[in-house]
Amino acid sequence: MAEVPVKADPMGAGDDVGDDPLGGRAGRGRKIAQVALGAVVVVALAVWAILEPKIWSTIVTVVVSVIATGGLWVLANLLFNQVRNQWLRFSALAFGGLGALLGIVLHGNGVTVGSGGGFLTWILGPLVGALAFGAVGVAMAINDDPSQRRAIAVGSSLAIGLAIALLIRSDYHPALDPVAIAVSTALGVAIGAGLSALRRRSPLGGALIGGALGWVFGAWGGADLGDGTIVESIIATLVPAVLIGVRLAMTKNPDYRARAAIDEKSRAVIFIGPALAFITVMLVIPTIRTMYLSILGRDSESFVGWDNYTDIFSNSNSFDTSNWTNMFTSIPFILGVVLLAIAVVVGIKMKQQTGRAVEIGNPTTGPLVVGLFLLSFGVFTALRGTLINNLWWVAVVTFLSTALGLAVAVLADQRRGERVAKSLIFMPMAISLVGASIIWRFMYRAQDTSREQTGVMNAAWVGLGRLSTGSGLPTLIVTVVSGLILLGLLVLLANALVKRQWARASLPAIGAFLVGWFFVRFAGIIGGGIGGFTVLPDGSTAPETILFVQETPYNNFWLMVILIWIQTGFAMVILSAAIKAVSTELIEAAKIDGATDSQVFWRVTLPQIGTTIGVVVTTLIVLVMKVFDIVKVVTNGQFGTQVLANNMFDEAFNRRNTGLGAALAILIFASVLPVMYYNVRRMQREN
Amino acid sequence: MTTTAEPVSNPTLSNVADDAPTGGPVDRIYRFFRGIPSLVLWLIVAVWTLPTLGLFVNSWRGRDSQRSTGWWQVRPSDLTADNYDQIRTARQGLGASLLNTAAIAIPATIIPIAFATFAAYGFAWIDFKGRKPLFIATVALLAIPLQVALIPLLQLWVGGAKVTLPIIDKTVTLLPDLDLAGTAAAAWLTHIGFAMPFAIFLLHNYISSLPKDLFEAARIDGAAHFTIFWRLVLPLSVPVLAAFAIFQFLWTWNDYLIANTMIGANPDAQPTTVLIANLAGDFGRNENILPAAAFVQAFIPLLVFFALQRYFVRGLLAGSVKG
Repeated sequence: MAEVPVKADPMGAGDDVGDDPLGGRAGRGRKIAQVALGAVVVVALAVWAILEPKIWSTIVTVVVSVIATGGLWVLANLLFNQVRNQWLRFSALAFGGLGALLGIVLHGNGVTVGSGGGFLTWILGPLVGALAFGAVGVAMAINDDPSQRRAIAVGSSLAIGLAIALLIRSDYHPALDPVAIAVSTALGVAIGAGLSALRRRSPLGGALIGGALGWVFGAWGGADLGDGTIVESIIATLVPAVLIGVRLAMTKNPDYRARAAIDEKSRAVIFIGPALAFITVMLVIPTIRTMYLSILGRDSESFVGWDNYTDIFSNSNSFDTSNWTNMFTSIPFILGVVLLAIAVVVGIKMKQQTGRAVEIGNPTTGPLVVGLFLLSFGVFTALRGTLINNLWWVAVVTFLSTALGLAVAVLADQRRGERVAKSLIFMPMAISLVGASIIWRFMYRAQDTSREQTGVMNAAWVGLGRLSTGSGLPTLIVTVVSGLILLGLLVLLANALVKRQWARASLPAIGAFLVGWFFVRFAGIIGGGIGGFTVLPDGSTAPETILFVQETPYNNFWLMVILIWIQTGFAMVILSAAIKAVSTELIEAAKIDGATDSQVFWRVTLPQIGTTIGVVVTTLIVLVMKVFDIVKVVTNGQFGTQVLANNMFDEAFNRRNTGLGAALAILIFASVLPVMYYNVRRMQREN
Repeated sequence: MTTTAEPVSNPTLSNVADDAPTGGPVDRIYRFFRGIPSLVLWLIVAVWTLPTLGLFVNSWRGRDSQRSTGWWQVRPSDLTADNYDQIRTARQGLGASLLNTAAIAIPATIIPIAFATFAAYGFAWIDFKGRKPLFIATVALLAIPLQVALIPLLQLWVGGAKVTLPIIDKTVTLLPDLDLAGTAAAAWLTHIGFAMPFAIFLLHNYISSLPKDLFEAARIDGAAHFTIFWRLVLPLSVPVLAAFAIFQFLWTWNDYLIANTMIGANPDAQPTTVLIANLAGDFGRNENILPAAAFVQAFIPLLVFFALQRYFVRGLLAGSVKG
C-alpha cells in the first residue's frame, strides 16, 4: 500500500540508462523503431476491431457513455464556475437545471397532461420547468430583503406545487395512505434533522427537506396510482412543495466568502462523487448485502443465524485434523525443528553479544524464518481441508515468492544481462492465471510408465531415476562431479570452522547439506538411488512417475508453484526498485568502515527495504487468500486441493446455496481484514 | 547498524567470493564457486522461461506428436498449424471469444480512468472536511476480495435491485432489471467497481506529488479547480494514466473469475479465458489444441507487456496493491 521508494530508474542497471525502467541502453533509433512497430500493431488491431460489429458497438457504447458522463461532469463544473462572481447567473442556471430535471422526469415519463407527443415532449416539459424554476432563481438572487424573499419563496413554491398537482394526469392521482405518509415523513424529518445536527447546523432546515422528501416518498412511492382524486394529488404535491419553499425562505444570498465556500465544497462533490458512487454501489453495498445473505439459508428466504458458518467449521472437508500425527514424520517438519533449534542457539549467542536476539539482518533471522516456514509446511501437510489449504497457500506462496523475488533482485543487480533476465522472470505476470494453469498442466503431465514422458517434470524425474540406477558413463560422471562439489564445499566449511568464522561457514554448510544429500541418495549409499523408479520383485527397476496433480497432500504445493512462478516477478520488480533506492552514500560509508559486501547487504540494505518487504508480503497475502483460477482449472478442488474461493464459487453459483457461498466469501473477507487494518495504520502514519 | 561487530552470518553467494582470502587451494575452490551467482540467476531464468517455451513449441505440434514425445524432442517435420486451424473453426470459435474479451476489456479500461482521475485530483488538491479519512477508507477497500461482492452483483445484473420496506410493506425498485445478465456490460461494470480504489490510489500517488507551487500560482491567478484540472493536471498525468490503463487492460483481459460468474452461462458472450478453462475441463479430449488456444489468449497481453513494460513497471511501483 505504501509507496515504494522509487528512483527515476527502477529497473535500471546503471546510471546512463535514461528513463527506461528495464535499464536498457536503447538508442534513439531503436526507440523510434519500437514506437513505429507499436503504432503499426495498434493501427492493425484498430482496423480489425472496427470491422467487427461486436467491437464497433462496444466502442460506440464506450464513446457515448464517456461523452455523456464527461459532458455532464464538465457542465456541472461550468455551472459552479459561476458561483464566486456571477451569483445571479448561477442561481438562475441552478434553479433552471432543477426545473428542467423535474420536467424531464414528469413529462418524459408521461405523468403530466400534454405529454406523449413524441420528440416535443422531451423539449417542452424541461423547458417549462426550467423557465418556471429559473424565474424563481432570478427573483431569489436579486432580492436581499428577508421579508420579500420569504414571500417569493413560499409564494412560488405554492404556485409550482399547485401547478404540478393540477397538471398530473388523472390516472396518476395517488390513493393516499395516511399511515405510510406519516411514517415516511417522520422518518424523513428524523434523518434530515439528524444529518443537519451532525453537520452542526440548525436541524430545522434538514427536517424540512427530509420531511418534504419523506412526504413525496410516502404519498407517491407506495401508493396505488390512478385510484385517487385530484384533491389527493394536490395534498401529495402541495405539502412538500411548501416545505421546500419554507426552507428556501430561510436562506439569504451568500456573501463572497460564503460563495467561495460553496465553490470549494461543490468541487469536492463533483470531483469525488462519481467515483464514490461507483464504489458504494459496486463494493460497499454488495459487501454489506453478502454479510446479510450469509446469515440466511440457501434460498435467502429463512433466517439461519450462524448456521452457515458452523457448517463450514464443523465440516471435515474444511477442517480435518484426524491425521495430525503425520506431521512428526514429515521431512519439512523435522528440518524446521532442527533450524529452529539452531535459531535458538544463535539467538542466545546474539543476545549475549548485541543485546538483541532477533532483528532484521542479524544471524538469527535466517534459520528462524526458514525454520518457521518449514515447520508450518510440515504441519499443513498433516492437517487437511479447505481452510488449512488456504493458510498453506498463503504461507508458501507469500514466503517463496518474496524470497525468490529478493534473491533474483539481488543476483541480477548490476550484473550483465540484468534487463533480459528480469524481463523474462517478470513475463509470467502478463499471462492469465488460466493460461498459466494450462502451461503447468503440461509441465506436470504424467504418461503411463510404459510410454515416454511428455511432461517436463516427469521426464526429468524418470530420467534422473534411470541415471541413478544405471551403471553407464553418465551415471559415473554425475557421481564424480557431485562428489567433487561436495568435497569442495566440505573443504570450505572445514576451513571456515577451523578459523572460527561462523558467518562464512553457514553457506557452505547449507550447500554441503543439499549436495551431500543428493550425492548420498544418487550414489545409492542410502536408499538405492534417487528419481522416478520402482524396484520390481525380481530386483530390476521400472520407471515410476509422480502424479503431481493427484497425489495428496503435495499436489497442493505443485499448484502453489504456478502462482509462485507468476508472483516472483512482482516481488522482484518491487524489491529491486527498493534496493536501487537505498542511498549509495550509506552503502559507501559502510564500506569505508570496512564492511564486506555481504555485511552491507544484511546490515544496511535489508533493514532499509524492510517496509517494502512488508508491502510485498501484505499484497501477496491478500492476493493468495482469494486464489481461485489455478485450483479451478487444474483440479477444480478435487484430490484434496479445495480452497475457499473455489468452494465459494461452487456453492454460490453451481450448487445455488447462496447462504453458504456468502458465508465463505465473508470468511475470505474476514481473513484479509488484518491486512487491511495494517495498511490503514501505515497510511495514517505516512500522512 | 553495528558494522564493526563480528562477522555476519549468511553471506549471499556472490559475497562468498568477495570475502575470499587470497592464496592456497581454498582460494582456488572459492574462485570456482565465484561463478555460481550468475549461474544461479540464469538457471532461474531458464526455469522461468521453459514452461512458456514448451507451450509455444507444443502449440505447433500435432496431436500425435504431442502425445508421443516431449516438446524438447521437436523435429522440424513435426511442425504444423493444425491446432490453430482447429481452434479457428471450432464450434465456439476462439475468434469470437477474443472479440468478447475485447468487448469487456476496452470499456473496463477506459471508463474507470475518467472517474478515478477526477477523484484522485479531488483527494489530492481540493480541501474539504474529512478528506483524509475518506481517502483512507477508499483505499482500504483495495484489499476487499472480489468474492465478497460477487453474489449481490450477479443478483443485481439478473434482477435489478428492489427493497421491500418494512411497516408499509411496499416493494420499491431501486434499480430496474436492465437485462444485463450474461452480457459483456455486466462484466465490465463489475470491473469498473473493483478497479476504482486501485485507480484512485495509483493516480492520487502521482497527482498529489505534483509540485505545490504550480497549484498555488494557478489559484492566485484565479483559476478554478476545473481549469487547473483540465489545463495542468491532465496533461501532466499522461504517464500515470498510461500506467494504469496497461495495468487494468492486462487485468481485465486475463480475468477469469468475474467473466465466469457474470457471463459463464452465456456461451455467445464468453471471453477467451472462460472458453479455455472449459476446454481444459473436457478431460483431455481437446488437449492438443489447448496450447494453441492458451497462446492466442496470451498473445495480446504479452505484446502489450513487452512493448509497454516501462509503464507497467511504473504502475506496479506506484501502487503495489491490486484488490
